Amino acid sequence: MKQTINIPLGSQHIALLEPVRFKFECENEKIIGVDSDVGFVHRGIERACTTKFKFDSIGYVVARVCGLCAITHSLSYTVAIEKLLGGEISKKAKYLRILLLELDRIHSHMLCLSHTCENAGFEAMFMRIMGDRELVMEIQELLTGNRVQFDYISIGGVNRDLNSTVALKIKENLYEVKQRVLGYMDEFTNNWSLSLKFKGIGALSLDDAYIFNAIGPLARASGLNIDVRNEIDYLPFDEVGFLMQTHSDGDINARNLVRLNEILNSILMCENIINGLPEGEIFTKIKGKPNGEAIVRFEAPRGELMYYVKGNGTAMLDRVRIKTPTFASIPAFSHIFVGQDYADAPAILASFDPCLSCTAK
Amino acid sequence: MFDLKKYRKKSPWILHYNAGSCNGCDIEILASLAPKYDLERFGVINTGNPKQSDIFLVTGPVTYRSRERLVELYTQMPEPKVVIAVGSCSCTGGVFRDMVNVEDGVDRYIPVDVYVAGCATSPELIIDGVVKALEILEQKTKEMEKPLKLFREATLENSIVNRRHTALKVGEKDEEN
Repeated sequence: MKQTINIPLGSQHIALLEPVRFKFECENEKIIGVDSDVGFVHRGIERACTTKFKFDSIGYVVARVCGLCAITHSLSYTVAIEKLLGGEISKKAKYLRILLLELDRIHSHMLCLSHTCENAGFEAMFMRIMGDRELVMEIQELLTGNRVQFDYISIGGVNRDLNSTVALKIKENLYEVKQRVLGYMDEFTNNWSLSLKFKGIGALSLDDAYIFNAIGPLARASGLNIDVRNEIDYLPFDEVGFLMQTHSDGDINARNLVRLNEILNSILMCENIINGLPEGEIFTKIKGKPNGEAIVRFEAPRGELMYYVKGNGTAMLDRVRIKTPTFASIPAFSHIFVGQDYADAPAILASFDPCLSCTAK
Repeated sequence: MFDLKKYRKKSPWILHYNAGSCNGCDIEILASLAPKYDLERFGVINTGNPKQSDIFLVTGPVTYRSRERLVELYTQMPEPKVVIAVGSCSCTGGVFRDMVNVEDGVDRYIPVDVYVAGCATSPELIIDGVVKALEILEQKTKEMEKPLKLFREATLENSIVNRRHTALKVGEKDEEN
């Protein structure tokens, strides 16, 4: 007779930044079934966007959906409204938006890598990466005035200009970060004790990634080359040197390497932007009230983020729908857990880089 | 003999709970534990266990589903304990105030000792809040040593016994609703 035992993980747990509950059905050490509950953080932001706030302030409200990818949320909403109002923003503002988007991606990926190391039991690596992440946080603060919630993007452009001293500091710090990241590449590929925890654990094959609709670094680590930055034309990603990063293994190690490669690519893009920043205004005034429907997609650090905005010609919107990356990846998450050891579950969970406050909104 | 009261101030342990925040304050708490700001130099360590913790860091504007767990975690922590509300939304509700599923701040459910403002708050402010909390923790430890019947009444304002009953009452009222 089979004997199974149910082990809960969450809603409050040392390995979790945010409340989510997993119920693992285990047979001896192996996980054979997973049930997840993600709704602890539901605040009702989508409804408040249509009842409480006017359309020009929602850009700052939706930034509070998630602190890690705040810039992508406000950027997606703002681009949707600009589509409805029909305004054209200057090229310099577009470049500055990409700059902050990529800085945000760097710090988010570094946080994910350090958190994965911590959950795998490598506390020293956690401290190293968190210490180096402060270099990126520093330049974000210099550029926007705040460390986490930037409120940098407004309808019609951006709120602050980039001056030459800040640009110099950004280049210096990014050079430093690049050296550190190259060091991590060596550590993640060659460290024997990390390979025991990461190599071959939590693998997702290419077919499964396609069937379960995985997106973001999770899918790219399995060899599926989807990246929204490659498909959209709202921002000139191809001009600043974007390159798709993929890996074929699909395990935790592959996800880490994809993230490291993306950090290097983002650093390259930031350097290109600062070296070739066009002249012009950072803000153009756009008048009118939104009327009609618009759909905008952007690549958040975790995958595709989709905004649907419907306006009716007044200051209040009819509908704001947010589809977040973690929500789309939950079937793939549940599939990966089956067949793994329970002891590896926190490290696997951290390697997905889940964002539950995005998911529940 | 090992004197717990003497060493509690030297190594207060932290319990962190996210009651519906946007992750912004949570990553700042992580950053304040990391090398640049280094909250751990005060002996602080982040535990996942409420029964070993002295300081309760709460972020987020308590959502409808997380309020029960918040009160439960608070009642599981041993005396003396200090609650720090981190971020604007845990102090007052912030930008989420009056949204459908939001309960407008931590102090509707548990008594808060230190309020740390800011959206998102910065690691410097979190460190200031924890240092302030250490003073309150020491004060509460001293208060616990006083004999209850001789020197103070059970209903005295700000006394620890009184606070615990307040938290329990809030939980009971909530179940009735």
